[in-house]
Amino acid sequence: MSLQTNNGTSSHSPLVCLQSLNKEYGNFTAVDHINLNIQKGEFLTFLGSSGSGKSTTLSMIAGFETPTSGEILLNEHSLIQIPSHKRGIGMVFQHYSLFPHMNVRDNIGFPLDIRKIPKAERDKKVDDILKLVQLETFADRRPSMLSGGQKQRVAIARALVYEPDILLMDEPLGALDKKLREDLQDELRLLHKRLGITIIYVTHDQDEAMRLSERIAIFKEGKIVGLGTGKDLYRKPPNAFVASFLGSSNFLKVKVSGPNSATFEGQTIQLDSEHDVPFNQQALLMIRPENLQVLSEDQATQSPIQTDENEAFGTVNESVFLGESLTCSITTADGSLVTSKSIATDLPEIEPGAKVRLRWKVQHSSVYSKWERSDIEKDAS
Amino acid sequence: MYMTLSRKKWREGTLLIPILLFLCVFFLIPLAGLLLRSLTEPSFGLQNFEQLLATSTYVQVLSNTFLVATLVTVISLVLGFPLAWCITLMPNGWGRWLLGVILLSMWTSLLARTYSWLVLLQTSGVINKTLMAIGIIDEPITMVHNLTGVIIGMSYIMIPFVVLPLQACMSAIDPMVLQAASICGAPARTVFFRIFLPLCKPGLFSGALMVFVMSLGYYVTPALLGGVENMMLPEFIVQQIQTFLNWGLASASAALLIILTIVMFYFYLKVQTDSPVSTNTGA
Repeated sequence: MSLQTNNGTSSHSPLVCLQSLNKEYGNFTAVDHINLNIQKGEFLTFLGSSGSGKSTTLSMIAGFETPTSGEILLNEHSLIQIPSHKRGIGMVFQHYSLFPHMNVRDNIGFPLDIRKIPKAERDKKVDDILKLVQLETFADRRPSMLSGGQKQRVAIARALVYEPDILLMDEPLGALDKKLREDLQDELRLLHKRLGITIIYVTHDQDEAMRLSERIAIFKEGKIVGLGTGKDLYRKPPNAFVASFLGSSNFLKVKVSGPNSATFEGQTIQLDSEHDVPFNQQALLMIRPENLQVLSEDQATQSPIQTDENEAFGTVNESVFLGESLTCSITTADGSLVTSKSIATDLPEIEPGAKVRLRWKVQHSSVYSKWERSDIEKDAS
Repeated sequence: MYMTLSRKKWREGTLLIPILLFLCVFFLIPLAGLLLRSLTEPSFGLQNFEQLLATSTYVQVLSNTFLVATLVTVISLVLGFPLAWCITLMPNGWGRWLLGVILLSMWTSLLARTYSWLVLLQTSGVINKTLMAIGIIDEPITMVHNLTGVIIGMSYIMIPFVVLPLQACMSAIDPMVLQAASICGAPARTVFFRIFLPLCKPGLFSGALMVFVMSLGYYVTPALLGGVENMMLPEFIVQQIQTFLNWGLASASAALLIILTIVMFYFYLKVQTDSPVSTNTGA
């Protein structure tokens, strides 16, 4: 689709272009006709649970898997017939996959040796990249003598040293503990800013995806069900699955009654701008817990409801103080269960059993006409 | 901390005493007695070794032994490597089944297997008849009662001893490491020679050492498939004892074999200082 622009200079056309990419194993469709454009210099994350097709897609870009059908373009040239060693792609694996019989220097120098780079230039490049990943002092060690974080830095250096067009990363931090993972995430983000390299990153960890990437592609059952910046996907999830997959969310069943109104438990509430739900049909209203304001009856009478706010009634089941925040589990008048989360700086104690009012801003809610039970019950399970 | 650890280890080491005693009484002392005969019979001195290394027929026996052991080792490696690779690459279950077939051949009686080769290889045997029937040869090839027969028969027997360590070594190699080499830009040939083969090195070395040392001292197959004029050292030892009752020369030959084996093992340990297999996952 993007290729139809005929005046497009190379800076406008995407670096990588997946067109109707499909991969089937027997009857099982691992990747289902994906279309995706990846711009030069971008940090894009494939986010999804295991078996969602994100790693298969990455393997197809790397050339380890052959697509059943579809096209992969790199700089407008098809990669399908090109074996992985000629694709000029860098890759970092989950379990590092360093060459155990070579020291760090030779591991990093390996891609340069393959390319028959003269010795002096090869050594200089290796030294430069060793400095970049802060491993100068470990250059003569075998991989078995390095810690997990160091190994992964060697793997990153090995993938970067020959200046590939794209760097693929398949859950590279998955095997590391939390603290180290966060450190390396910061390092990686800085590295991306410094080098301006295009990175495609695969993870099942939504925090990691949010922390690192400029754009996130959310995979579900071989399809991309959400694509955009972390902020957009979180604030305006395109569907109920993305809403429940990314962060936590409350789902309320409403009946749409007009272009921007609906009824919830007998009350009329406002909806945000346009939606595609036909009138008089059931729809799903999504509100993030932190956008749900809980007010006691007293507070509610003191601060009148704003024009861009909706209100519902409920009873508190439980409130849990979590230090920085306070979460409340509340049952609405008709028995829907919702959770609110507020910054617990100077909040009054909310007792279980108390009658409360729930308020939320219209622009903080999203409405969906179609959903699957599994989408919204993810949190409960 | 370290001290207590080593002391503890030492204390546990005392549990080894029974087996060490057993080995001493039933293996080391008889062995030493046998080897001493090479220096004391018929009179004290190195004359047995001199005789062994100076007589041309005896030197011929030695060189036969080395030639056969070397060729058998090379052939077993050349045939065993693809076999081990095949077993490693087999999808779930099939590899173990194949390995079972190889083990089964090892469990079958050695004599039965060697005689089977006699049946196959002899002048009126299956192979010669088949080759003549399809017109590749006009008259039977002599493949038995000479070194050809010995090498064929022994290679067949030794292949499992290459396959087992090699297969263990190969299955410990992380396939992702090979993929990593490929994405780094290495074509299949380079991946094989620069990554896969070096990672197989421990398996190749231990398999080769085992086969070479075993071949040096192998008796049954050379005795049945070999000829009288192409004797190998073990046959020579048997001959010296059973026919000539020359314990001195036989012991000297045995001592030579043991010394050679120890030298080989020493070099093996020198070359094979670290084992990359243990760190193969990179973890």
